[in-house]
Amino acid sequence: MLDEFPGTLISTEWHSPGYTPGDSDFEECYYYDNFGGCYGARGNLFNVGGIPHTEWNGEYDLTGGWANGNWEPAYDYFIGFYNQLIGSETPYDIVINGFKDGLTVNYDITVSMDDDHSSQNQKVEIIVVEDKIMSYWTGASEYHNARNVARYWISTEDLDINSAGESQTFSGSFEIDEEAWNPDSVKIISMVQNYGNYHVHQVQELNVNEFDTDQDGIMNNEDNCLSEYNPEQEDIDGDGMGDACDPCDNANIFVPGNVSGDLWYYDDTSLEPTVLVDVFDVLLLAEIVELADEESCGYEAGDMTGEGDVNIIDVIALASFIMEGAF
Amino acid sequence: MNKIYYLLLITLPFAQQLDPVDVALDELRTVVETASRSNQRVFVDDFTGLL
Repeated sequence: MLDEFPGTLISTEWHSPGYTPGDSDFEECYYYDNFGGCYGARGNLFNVGGIPHTEWNGEYDLTGGWANGNWEPAYDYFIGFYNQLIGSETPYDIVINGFKDGLTVNYDITVSMDDDHSSQNQKVEIIVVEDKIMSYWTGASEYHNARNVARYWISTEDLDINSAGESQTFSGSFEIDEEAWNPDSVKIISMVQNYGNYHVHQVQELNVNEFDTDQDGIMNNEDNCLSEYNPEQEDIDGDGMGDACDPCDNANIFVPGNVSGDLWYYDDTSLEPTVLVDVFDVLLLAEIVELADEESCGYEAGDMTGEGDVNIIDVIALASFIMEGAF
Repeated sequence: MNKIYYLLLITLPFAQQLDPVDVALDELRTVVETASRSNQRVFVDDFTGLL
């Protein structure tokens, strides 16, 4: 069903330690700051007495299953629950965003409201799951694809907003456990849930590799400026760094040899400046090499040999080119 | 005087035509407002195991 209703049906598997083999590494998950207790804590909200048990937005549930892992008959119940709940009006929307730096995930979860609603007992859950873990299911005697397995129930926050137009952001960070989790399949799930009746008012999910930090519609792993809004992705010098965040125009200014970026006009009638390459560029390049200043704009312009690396050979080459009147 | 009659004659039907436009605009506003409202997604807590 998750594949049938992508984006509108979101799930989390809470594995019962008693019914999940100890040799699997997800018989429990991190609950707030400690390992273990996820299944019990979440199950207590709904008086879960055993498995299988599903809760649908905290409003509908199905307890019990069919022998030998035969889940197909459950579909008829599930589709009914889904159709009852989907598309109902809710005052809440949730946007998950952030920035992934190696295995560190920094997240911002923003809950906004387009209608008034009391904040009494309203909470925001923040949960990290790992999707698509191939696991052996003894009851069905086969491997199956475990979906959105709870790995880290980060926190339960108070939602304070209650009026249309308001929003509240919850920020934090966590580390991906590379040894246990597949970093490609880690998602954040967040929901607004009432802790009086445990109804879920809204939910959202996002793979941590699909953040769009600057909200320009380009995911971070494809964005040429991570923190600058540049939906057009202009990159005049084609160096992979977008113009919006690239201090060096290597196409027109910091061209090979013009380490200093100096420009000059041929005469008063010149409309466009031209680059100026002289002995000062040699001196500056020597300084860049000495300081190993790879961040400077002149670094790329000083790569006279085109090796992708700047060293003393480039300094000599630049001096030679100038002496030969190559510029 | 005839010119005034003609003017009124021409103007009146167009004035009447404003009503359906207003109605259409109201309907459009309702559609847009409804469409922009947040729609509930569905969350499933799946308490399960592998044995």
